Amino acid sequence: MNNSARSEIFARLRHACQSAEAENIQRALPPTDSAPGAPLPSDDLATAFLTNVLKNQGTVECVANRSAAVKALADYVYRHFRSHRLVAGNDANLAAMPWREAGVLPRFGAIEPGEPVALSYALLGIAETGATALQTGKANPAVNNFLSEHHLVLVDSSRLVATMEQAWARIRQEMNKSGRPRGYNFIAGPSSTGDIEGQLVYGAHGPRNWHVILMGDIAATALEDARALAGK
Amino acid sequence: MKQTSDTFLENASAALADSGKSQRRDLLALFSPLMRDAAMGSFGQFEELRDHVRQVRQHSLDHLDHYLAQFEQQAAENGNRVHFASDGDAMNSIVLDICQEHRAQRIAKGKSMVTEETGLNDYLQRAGLSVMETDLGEYIIQQAGETPSHIVGPALHKSAAEVRELFLSRHDLGERDLGEIADLVGEARLVLREHFLKAEVGIIGSNALVAENGYSMLVTNEGNGDLCANLPKVLIICTTLDRILPRLEDATAMLRLLVRSATGQPQTCYTSFYSGPRRELDTDGPLETHIVLLDNRRSEILASDYREMLQCIRCGACLNHCPIYAGVGGHAYGWVYPGPMGSILTPLLTSLEQSTDLPNACTSCGRCGEVCPAGIPLPDLLRDLRHEESERKLSPTRWRWGLKMHAWLARQPRLYHALTAVGIFGMHLLGRRRGRFASLPMAAGWTSQRDFPAPQGKTFMQQYSALQRQQQAAADAGKRGGRSTRRPDPRRPGTRRQDATRKAPAGTGKRAHPGGPRGKKPRRRTGDE
Ligand code: SF4
Repeated sequence: MNNSARSEIFARLRHACQSAEAENIQRALPPTDSAPGAPLPSDDLATAFLTNVLKNQGTVECVANRSAAVKALADYVYRHFRSHRLVAGNDANLAAMPWREAGVLPRFGAIEPGEPVALSYALLGIAETGATALQTGKANPAVNNFLSEHHLVLVDSSRLVATMEQAWARIRQEMNKSGRPRGYNFIAGPSSTGDIEGQLVYGAHGPRNWHVILMGDIAATALEDARALAGK
Repeated sequence: MKQTSDTFLENASAALADSGKSQRRDLLALFSPLMRDAAMGSFGQFEELRDHVRQVRQHSLDHLDHYLAQFEQQAAENGNRVHFASDGDAMNSIVLDICQEHRAQRIAKGKSMVTEETGLNDYLQRAGLSVMETDLGEYIIQQAGETPSHIVGPALHKSAAEVRELFLSRHDLGERDLGEIADLVGEARLVLREHFLKAEVGIIGSNALVAENGYSMLVTNEGNGDLCANLPKVLIICTTLDRILPRLEDATAMLRLLVRSATGQPQTCYTSFYSGPRRELDTDGPLETHIVLLDNRRSEILASDYREMLQCIRCGACLNHCPIYAGVGGHAYGWVYPGPMGSILTPLLTSLEQSTDLPNACTSCGRCGEVCPAGIPLPDLLRDLRHEESERKLSPTRWRWGLKMHAWLARQPRLYHALTAVGIFGMHLLGRRRGRFASLPMAAGWTSQRDFPAPQGKTFMQQYSALQRQQQAAADAGKRGGRSTRRPDPRRPGTRRQDATRKAPAGTGKRAHPGGPRGKKPRRRTGDE
């Protein structure tokens, strides 16, 4: 039955479509760069990214290197849970962090019910949308992004891009090298809903808190400027 | 879903009588456009982006046979099973077969207007399955036994107090207050979390299907769709042919318009792209994934004069900007899709006979067409449907004769101007004392609700010509005096899109509405009338 539905549908489509040659179709396709993107709030990429993360109701921190990142993570978890426990995917970048310096040892794997904090290592940070791009897989099980109460995302400043088009260009390179992963999650805020009376409430089904730690060589005033630009 | 579009007028009267709900609709009609405008304002290049996305969408539809085949091949390579469904029943039975094959009992469902269209929930429940909607709005109306009133916010017709009553009666969780909206959201989170963890099959929709690599885009704020896509062992994506776009970039370019038009956000919280089942080394994700592609007359719409309607990205902006939708709400339209887009889609996807009133539920104000991010000429399509109703004698005889007479008269400009001048002057004399009419023959529809203001004595054309003469005289005097008194020409509208941006549908000539007679219909822009 399914096969006959398929051929009927294609017959109807061919009747309605131009049935052009693949090459000609390719040529007629408008180029992607004719799509304007959103203006960035700052010329500095890190500042623009941080501003939009703040506007998306994320919380942010900037750190210079991996030691500082580990310390910031430890402080965050201790501040909220008086513990040093968190879950992270089997990401080589995370495994190589100097966890012992801050007295934290993550459990590497997929989140289990009752575990409130998950840490992800971002594939990219996108300034235009203030989103962190995560790739599903062993290095970052998707459930970690969605079942945690607090989702912490570490973004290396070398992985910041300005627009979605640039993000796809980087992702295509990766895809060509190592194939298509099951999924990409672009996360831009704690989970929210406006379904009751149009009033925005945070903590719908996913994490209630989304904390972004930007790591690397970042202008000293980036965070301050971002807070001013975002009005926070 | 049982269709009640044929009683639109009665549905609308009933809706207008409920003052509490009317007030809430008024508020939404006030605030949603403000949010959308603010978001588009800070984006800046709405027209440029709309043009780009419209070109891409039109291109994808012109070559849908090519892109659909490409998507099918790529999706299969990614490990999906791709199914085709000619109509709603076919989609429902494909989904049920998959669930039964896995002996699944519990289904977690993300928001999907397509499955509302096919009535999937009822179908699965009749077969004994437990289906749980997980989008908060969908969950609320499912618990209340209602249907969506809006394509983006399905439960926006309900007050927090009503939701509170509903939750208190449906959730056995003991004494609690639930006084705040946040409490209600928290309770839904708690109740649904259980369900997510136990569900054997997840069902979601798709905002875009990417032909080049078989990925499917899912856009949500709550994260419920992603839980449905990642937790259960089997994932079924229920969507339609027209969601196909060539490249990843096209999906995210469209998303820029979608989020701003829908909720006024610059970005949704979760935008995900899924390609198929879990990979060899993955520790999570579904083991089996299916994509069910529904046609349900879309291929016929593609071949008709209404092809542009397939460019719709389901943002809901036309609903939020429509004075009729604000007045009567979504349920009055009597089917899945309400507002301007629904008044076009309902006749196309069901029948014009069943929904004759919908294309007439329009003041021709043009707001929907102006905000539509997909660049669909909604007012034109609505007028074309009205035209078709007249051709097919579906509209009342009185209307058709009235319109015929008017059309004849309008083609005799001298006679038209003379008669309207006499009529207007007569009404001016009659209504001079009170300045308004409490009743008028053949216009009870207007005067039963409000007074009709008495004309001031001259027709628009008379006043306009007088003004022109005046300006000409002033200009001549100015020229003699060496000064220019140019004023903007009132005949030149500033920003209205021109006819040249409209593209004739591809294929073999124009065809009427699916199921309607073939024939040429005049296509003019509303602004020309
Ligand atoms: S018709 Fe246009 S405005 Fe209305 S829902 Fe579709 S895309 Fe949005």
